[in-house]
Amino acid sequence: MRTYCSFLGLHQCATIIPMLDKTIPGRTINIPPRSEIIKSIKEGGDLIAGVFPIHYPRELLRAFGIHPIEIWGPPRVDPSAGVSHLQPYVCSIVRNALAFQQSSGLDIVDLLLVPHACDSLQGLGSVLLDFIQPQQPIIPFYLPRADGDVAKEYLIAELKTLYIQLKIITGKTPSDDELQDAIVKEERYDEKFSELYIAREELPLSTESFYKLVRSREYVPGEDFVNLSDGVLDQRTDAENSYTGIILSGIVPEPMDLFTAVEDFGGRVVADDLACCGRRRYSAGRSQDPFERMAERLLSGPPDWNRGNSIGQRLDYLVEMIDRKKAKGILFYTVKFCEPELFDTPILRKALQSKGVPSLILEFDINDPLTNQALTRIEAFMEMIA
Amino acid sequence: MRVLRYLIYLWNAKVFGPFLIRLNLWLNARREKGKSRWNQEILSPPLKISYRNKELVAMHWLEGRYANLGKKVVWITSGAPVELFKALDFFVLYPENHAAICGTARVAVDICSEAESAGYSRDICSYARTDFGSMLSGKTPVGKLPKPDLLVTCTNICQTVLSWYRVLAHHFDVPLIIIDTPFVYHRQAADHAIEYVVKQLEDAIPVAEKVAGKALEQSRLEEVARLSKQATELWMEIMKRNTHCPAPISVFDQFIQMAPIVEMRGDAITVDFYAAMLQEVDDRIARGIGAVVEERKRLLWDNLPIWYRLRYLAELLGQHGIAIVASTYTNAWGELAHLIDPSKGLRSMALSYTYAILNRGTGHKLETMTRMIHEFQLDGVILHSDRSCKPYSIGQMDQRDRLIREHNTPALLLEADHNDSRAYAEEQVANRLAAFIEMLE
Ligand code: SF4
Ligand code: SF4
Repeated sequence: MRTYCSFLGLHQCATIIPMLDKTIPGRTINIPPRSEIIKSIKEGGDLIAGVFPIHYPRELLRAFGIHPIEIWGPPRVDPSAGVSHLQPYVCSIVRNALAFQQSSGLDIVDLLLVPHACDSLQGLGSVLLDFIQPQQPIIPFYLPRADGDVAKEYLIAELKTLYIQLKIITGKTPSDDELQDAIVKEERYDEKFSELYIAREELPLSTESFYKLVRSREYVPGEDFVNLSDGVLDQRTDAENSYTGIILSGIVPEPMDLFTAVEDFGGRVVADDLACCGRRRYSAGRSQDPFERMAERLLSGPPDWNRGNSIGQRLDYLVEMIDRKKAKGILFYTVKFCEPELFDTPILRKALQSKGVPSLILEFDINDPLTNQALTRIEAFMEMIA
Repeated sequence: MRVLRYLIYLWNAKVFGPFLIRLNLWLNARREKGKSRWNQEILSPPLKISYRNKELVAMHWLEGRYANLGKKVVWITSGAPVELFKALDFFVLYPENHAAICGTARVAVDICSEAESAGYSRDICSYARTDFGSMLSGKTPVGKLPKPDLLVTCTNICQTVLSWYRVLAHHFDVPLIIIDTPFVYHRQAADHAIEYVVKQLEDAIPVAEKVAGKALEQSRLEEVARLSKQATELWMEIMKRNTHCPAPISVFDQFIQMAPIVEMRGDAITVDFYAAMLQEVDDRIARGIGAVVEERKRLLWDNLPIWYRLRYLAELLGQHGIAIVASTYTNAWGELAHLIDPSKGLRSMALSYTYAILNRGTGHKLETMTRMIHEFQLDGVILHSDRSCKPYSIGQMDQRDRLIREHNTPALLLEADHNDSRAYAEEQVANRLAAFIEMLE
């Protein structure tokens, strides 16, 4: 694994994940902070793309020597810097992203990629392009909502357009072979990501640590992510199952001590349908054409409104997950003002209820800590399903 | 049995019902003796064509009430390529339009509460909540809504409609056609985006034909597209007449008279309606009649109307000689007329529907506003910051600042919601408007 030096910036400390493995007491894995990663990338002469949620082609960026660092908010920044651009009824992920940009938090990145997921991200991309016009190039990226070949053809063309934009920015022209190489690597990293999910019960990690590790994929270069993951996968232990399993559905699990709160009440998040995590468990593409293969990969994830999947498809997916993981309930953990999630949850909850699966919905703002009220509701929910 | 059902539909929707509607309207007109509830010391009398508008709208919803007996029904978003479905003889229902009727009739909050009790958050679009409330409770001011046989959503107004129609598809268990129009961030839509829309339209046809039980005839599609283009051009002409001072109609008139261009686009009666309206507007111009009796200042309205407070706002502003003469919202229903070319089929459709104002960047909207400010000789802009319509509202803060700083145009951000009066504070609105009016003087 590369070595990182310290650098002032976001999340200054390394995330130290304690392992629970009793045979190796005190053993930890260190996830380097974003600042270190950014510095290391910069020192290596590569570029950094600040990437907003949700889906985008990592491999295409990497083929151009660009490292994606994702921006899911970030949480707990001072949102006041963005208030002159966005109304208070916009979700905190988008408001924070803009506030972060306005307070120079993104100055370090060389370009900004804005995937189109919802009306709010669409607005963010547009306001950045038309009014704020930061120093870096802004590249929007539209994921198709239609189905079948028509969506794939569109996405292939969209990826080719992105290629041209990246070529203009970097002056590089990766060949088909180089693209394939980057694709295969990212597919391998995706596979490792999935491996963590498959082995999660056997990993010597608390749920919070598990999610810190899988979420490091948002900024740690894939090759390092694999090393970090292998370090944990090598330490598998017997699965422990003295807890009440629940599924977490939503966008992001913030604050991350949510997981500890669930554990404190005798529960454990055993699987997720989170936009930043489980909904990005892509499968490898099959085509020999690099653009088609990237499109196949991006369209392959679990059901998601962002790809236009129906509520029925989401429901089937959740039901299958509940059965497979023997979960006792679902926590819909929704960002306040996040319309796409808010539209789906009433039907999902009702249908799950009719199948005997209780659920709880909690709305949150990514700037807020877990409130007492939220904790009380989680406690009551865990008691009910235990 | 089918014949009997069809006969019941014909009798109620086309014979006896229309007779009752006309009788009722006639009796009302006699009772009101040309008087309007709107203050006529401040505002000109309503357009005579309003009578015909009421008739058309009432007939439309009457037909809707019985449509399941005689026709296939499609529920469709306001920005969707309706021509395809008109040409297949569907009865076309626009849930947004129905929601606006609920808003104007001030029953939207009650209906929204039904959706909220079923778990729908107050943070989602209040049109969608109104629709869900109606769907779940059957409550509606139009009698009864027909069930859809087909759903069509087009993302050219927002992504919200995709979420909304996925809910409808689940509830009604009928096919959903998604026409996805990639957002146009830059001046031009990418060729592959237009191609993508064309292909989706091609794919939509067999799905719609299957539900309609008939094949789409090219000649019929061209005829509907031609009528749609004609009505749209007439509507645009009517709005352009407001470059005259005083403006013959206000934006509040436009909000009311726009129902046919939304819900009856592609029908011959809609063309006739707007031709007659244009004549009446020209007549007003010839006679020097303005929508506001003493027009002193002229404004632009941005975003959806506040449906439940149209009269209040018209009178409040009218009292000060302020006419709102143009709006980006009503303009949106006419500005793409030039892109519609019935002989160019699906490609022209894809172009005109992709370039809808809400599918274009926030900078494009600012350009539209500044163009309108010059064209209509406007003194200021009211930007309705609409709590539950994010696609229209995001960008307004920068637009307002640019209008003030770079275009020297007073601009006010007015917080409200298009359909949910709980997000509207009258006192605050009145205070903000009073301060703005003072600034305009
Ligand atoms: S939290 Fe929801 S509304 Fe906000 S950016 Fe994410 S998907 Fe969009
Ligand atoms: S969010 Fe806005 S554009 Fe979309 S349906 Fe609602 S009111 Fe219309």
